[in-house]
Amino acid sequence: MGLSQSAPKITAHDRAILDLKLQRDKLKQYQKKIQVVLDREHEIAKAHLATGQKDRAVIALRRRKYQQSLLLKTDSQLENLEQLVSTIEFSLVEVSVLHGLKQGNEVLKEIHREMSIESVEKLMDETQEAREYQREIGDLLANRLTHDEEDSVQAELLALQGEALGQAEPKVRLDLPSPPRSLPLVSEEAQQVLQETKRERVPLPG
Amino acid sequence: MALSTHTTPSGFLLPSIHSAPPFFTEQPNQSTHAHLTEKWIHLILTYARHKRLFVLRVEDAEVPGGEWDEILRNERINRRILPQYLSSLMAIMVAKNLAVYEPSKQTRAVLLYWRLPEEWADVLHSWATATGQLNTILTFYEISDPPIQSPLSGIPIPLLRRAITILSRSNRAQIIGVADGEGVRFFVG
Repeated sequence: MGLSQSAPKITAHDRAILDLKLQRDKLKQYQKKIQVVLDREHEIAKAHLATGQKDRAVIALRRRKYQQSLLLKTDSQLENLEQLVSTIEFSLVEVSVLHGLKQGNEVLKEIHREMSIESVEKLMDETQEAREYQREIGDLLANRLTHDEEDSVQAELLALQGEALGQAEPKVRLDLPSPPRSLPLVSEEAQQVLQETKRERVPLPG
Repeated sequence: MALSTHTTPSGFLLPSIHSAPPFFTEQPNQSTHAHLTEKWIHLILTYARHKRLFVLRVEDAEVPGGEWDEILRNERINRRILPQYLSSLMAIMVAKNLAVYEPSKQTRAVLLYWRLPEEWADVLHSWATATGQLNTILTFYEISDPPIQSPLSGIPIPLLRRAITILSRSNRAQIIGVADGEGVRFFVG
């Protein structure tokens, strides 16, 4: 009793489809029956011919022809029915697709409502404020150190960085192309490039 | 003559006991009787599965020429099972839930359960899933006589109905009735 609750309700659509399909089944069964009759008439005609009753054989064959035309007619009817059934089922699929799209749209709207531009702006502002606040605190704390202390801190930092680079290099070398080792080298190259570009520019106006 | 197995024209391997004359008559000794009954039931069910037979009638032991001749008769030793013996075998099978009288209220024909209705329910559901027929409405005729051979081809409607009832209990199927007949719809479940 309670189990049938979650099963979808049987709608008029469902009944209509079932009706159509049952009709289709009946047609199929009818075709089977006609086929049996066809075979039987064939046998009868053969038997009559064997006993020399030609006219009766002709009658049997005529009946057979008629049954054959019936079979053809039912074939086209069957086709109609099957087409109708397929069309209906396909439309149902379309309906469910539409339903899915609608729901997806709703969800998207819902999400957008929660994520309005003002609230995002507000959030970004707040984040900015918080960052600035943090920076101020950092400044305040940093200002307590003397310049000498600050210098030694920086030197220590550089030493640490150098160590880290020195340690990391052998590992990195294994399979990577070697990167530029130190900052001055890069700046020299940049200067060369700059000089070259300057040199090249000179002849142009002259 | 030594007892040996025998392969029937339909490719079914008969057990050697099928060539033993006492196999075909009801044995007075109780333990022998129980043993042979066991063998008979096994033979009937495996043969039914082999040839996809669903119904066994007492008549099959009475008149030759039926689908069951290969096991109910043994021309090589000139033996056949007596209708009375077959009838008692059928009663035992019904008692063991390996068959059921179909239609009920008679004892001349049984519907064989070489798959239990629960197993048929599983077969049915996996067929519907594999052929993408979930959530569509199917007629019973469509299932028992599909255009493409399926494991359910030729399943008798009463058995099909039982399997569907089992599925509907676990919400995997729903029976739809209209004036003209019935249909079923399967769900993922």
